[in-house]
Amino acid sequence: MTVALQASGLSKRYGDVVALDDVSLDIHAGEIHCLFGENGAGKSTLSGCLYGYVQPDSGALAIDGRPMRLRSPAEALRLGIGMIHQHFKLVGRLSVIENILVGAGGRGLFLDTRAARRRLAALCADYGVALSPDAIVEELPVGLQQWVEIIKVLFLGVRVLILDEPTAVLTPQESDRLMAALERMRDAGMAIVLISHKLREVMRSDRVTVLRAGKLVASLKTAETSPEELSVLMVGRKVSPSYDHNRETPGEIVLDLSDVYVNGERGHRVLDGLSIHVRAHEIVGLAGVAGNGQRELFETIMRVRPLEAGRISIDGKDVTAGSTRDVIDLGVGHIPDDRYLQGLIGSFTIADNIVLGRHHDCAFRKGPFLDRKAISSFAADSMSEYRVAARDSGTRVDRLSGGNAQKVILARELQRSTSLLLANQPTRGLDIGVIDYVYRQLLAKKAEGFGILLASEELDDLMTLCDRIAVIHRGKIVGVVDPSGTTPQHLGLMMAGQAVSGGDAHAH
Amino acid sequence: MHIKLEQRHGSSLLWQGASYGLAILAGFVATAMLLKLSSADVTTAFEALFRGALGSQRAMLRTLVAATPLILTGLAAVVVFRARIWSIGQEGQVYAGAMGAYWVASSLADAPLVVVGPLAIAGAMLGGATMSGIAALLRNRYEVNEIFSTVMLNYIIVYLLSFLLSGGPWTEAGTTVAYHQTPLLAQTAWLPHLAGPLHAGILIALLAAIAVHLLLERTSSGYDMRALGANQTALRFMGMDVPRIVLVTMLLSGALAGLAGGVELLGVQHRLKADYLFGLGYGGIIVAMVGGLRPAGTVAVAILFGGLSSGAVDMRIQSGVPDSLIQAMQGTILLFVLCGTALARYRLTWSSAK
Repeated sequence: MTVALQASGLSKRYGDVVALDDVSLDIHAGEIHCLFGENGAGKSTLSGCLYGYVQPDSGALAIDGRPMRLRSPAEALRLGIGMIHQHFKLVGRLSVIENILVGAGGRGLFLDTRAARRRLAALCADYGVALSPDAIVEELPVGLQQWVEIIKVLFLGVRVLILDEPTAVLTPQESDRLMAALERMRDAGMAIVLISHKLREVMRSDRVTVLRAGKLVASLKTAETSPEELSVLMVGRKVSPSYDHNRETPGEIVLDLSDVYVNGERGHRVLDGLSIHVRAHEIVGLAGVAGNGQRELFETIMRVRPLEAGRISIDGKDVTAGSTRDVIDLGVGHIPDDRYLQGLIGSFTIADNIVLGRHHDCAFRKGPFLDRKAISSFAADSMSEYRVAARDSGTRVDRLSGGNAQKVILARELQRSTSLLLANQPTRGLDIGVIDYVYRQLLAKKAEGFGILLASEELDDLMTLCDRIAVIHRGKIVGVVDPSGTTPQHLGLMMAGQAVSGGDAHAH
Repeated sequence: MHIKLEQRHGSSLLWQGASYGLAILAGFVATAMLLKLSSADVTTAFEALFRGALGSQRAMLRTLVAATPLILTGLAAVVVFRARIWSIGQEGQVYAGAMGAYWVASSLADAPLVVVGPLAIAGAMLGGATMSGIAALLRNRYEVNEIFSTVMLNYIIVYLLSFLLSGGPWTEAGTTVAYHQTPLLAQTAWLPHLAGPLHAGILIALLAAIAVHLLLERTSSGYDMRALGANQTALRFMGMDVPRIVLVTMLLSGALAGLAGGVELLGVQHRLKADYLFGLGYGGIIVAMVGGLRPAGTVAVAILFGGLSSGAVDMRIQSGVPDSLIQAMQGTILLFVLCGTALARYRLTWSSAK
């Protein structure tokens, strides 16, 4: 096999942080090469070096055996290296064909649309994608927008395609289709670099390179390794993926939404007659493709979003007309999906964030003044109990890693809540070690008698943790299933909005 | 060649200090060029400026007198800007404060200072707070952007005063309407003087600076205001009453700006005349920005700017340069300080593409 892209001794530092430490690897034509590692392991920096976005401090690149310096992504594209980002670089208001031609650059004054349309049709047929050239990009579902991005790059004749977590926004079915298409590109002789932290996808690659803390830990043939070995390599120690999961008899209903209608900022429906309930001693999972009303659901329960119609009660008390303060006073904890927007004040210290919302309580106040001593000793106790790693409670939270920032939220929300926990993507962007910690905290709260509503993109996690899984699609619960009686594929179909017969799907 | 702005990792105090010094220096250089353009003698003008600001004990006291209202309007801007409420109504609130103080003091013409003084000061704060309170209610109730409401209110109050002074009930009797001023207040309402021209208003201003510092950094209400400025969304999710925090912050800011008007009336002018109050509110915004939105910085910059405007009078007499040039100079310093802050936080990097 020929080496399409070779990196030797790449290193990159940002200030004191070593993002990449002497990493060498070969990307072969005709292989799917997976870069695997935790968040912050160096995957993004490495891929940035490979397509000219990041300039390494030292090390060299060779393309088809010739030493090259990539000074910009444009130069990489000219040399046949393209990248698909997690956040698409598309012009939403333009059509598919226009977006593709924008990327193709202008040769001459006029865009040659006829030839482009023919090529687009051929590519779509090759990969089995139904993409109309005149569709407006922002009106397409996310899965198809990603295809516009991919075809845009294919148009430029790339031979090395780098994809950054491409399945994060896809349903399981869409992911399968994408993987199949990538395999066809490989068979046609392209080199595919796939950045992922999902074991299921990694196992479909040909080779896998594991990164940890900026270092290359191993480069293996996928066929000769196992998911267990890879996860050990990734975190550097053995993690047990199973949890002591006591099935307790669910108690009283602590959260009850019936026929809730909510409109979004632009006046369109975001929750469309949604009903769901959560009992004490129960974790209810919320599965769904991002953007189907999950965030709005949590905001509505927290009463920061107005209701058009419907009823919400918490612990038997009607809070339909209540305020956020009322909800919090009923003992509700909220772990938001965007922690620096909704959960933390970045420029404040850990201590100030741990008492956020309670800073007027007598315990933290002496007359009109904040009782700094009481606040910092409370914060120090919380930090040791919730294992927040930082120099002291005076550290600003925007200086913390994602995992430690999340633990600050956990420390605050778990300590002040008494009956109900709302957790929206609580493990997003976290290392496996922290994910494990977060889940153990949730299970401990469940054992204490909390009701928990847990939304996650990780279906496997929902299936191990939850007592019931509700599937949300277009602002509606389209089914509630027992995790022991379902499969990720079955959930995926429901998430995609397909009516599913069989199983024990029943709403509410 | 590419020029990029790169974030500095931990901006050093040295850099910040240096950037401030450079900004002020640049302000002087730009002013010198303006002086040259108006064909004035730069050396004479600057010499007069410095002598007027610092040349004698009396000059220094006059500098402090000029700084007094700027400290208060600066603090008013600090309070709202730290909460990221973009109120620029300090100008109108100064007028309303002076009007409140005048109304109280002129109604209690026979009472002694111990009675009139505190009541007139309270009237000033109430006047300013009324103006900012209206803007806060408009924002909370009807989602009216405070930038628009405060600018409109600035116009309304200026014209209201103009109405009251040009043939209205407050016009000085026996003078021609053209003076646009009230009669002098009775001496019982004048703030006592500490030394020469320096009146007790400076103490009020310095106490206010300490109080604002303690409020912002040490109290739970100050925490609310800073949190509102840092992340309003998180505050809402924590169940905090955001409209109430906006109202309290605005009332406090308005009271401080009103105080500036009251102190200027009772300490210096002793009569209401629109010209006397012009620019104190807008000046306070610049002072607060250059002072880094911190009370101590605000006091320091207010004294600097106070010196510039009291020195400007001497400069006009000596070299015939209009004192409005000083406002141009203050504006220039602000622009350079803003550049300097960016420079302290970011660094320019050059990379040449061969």
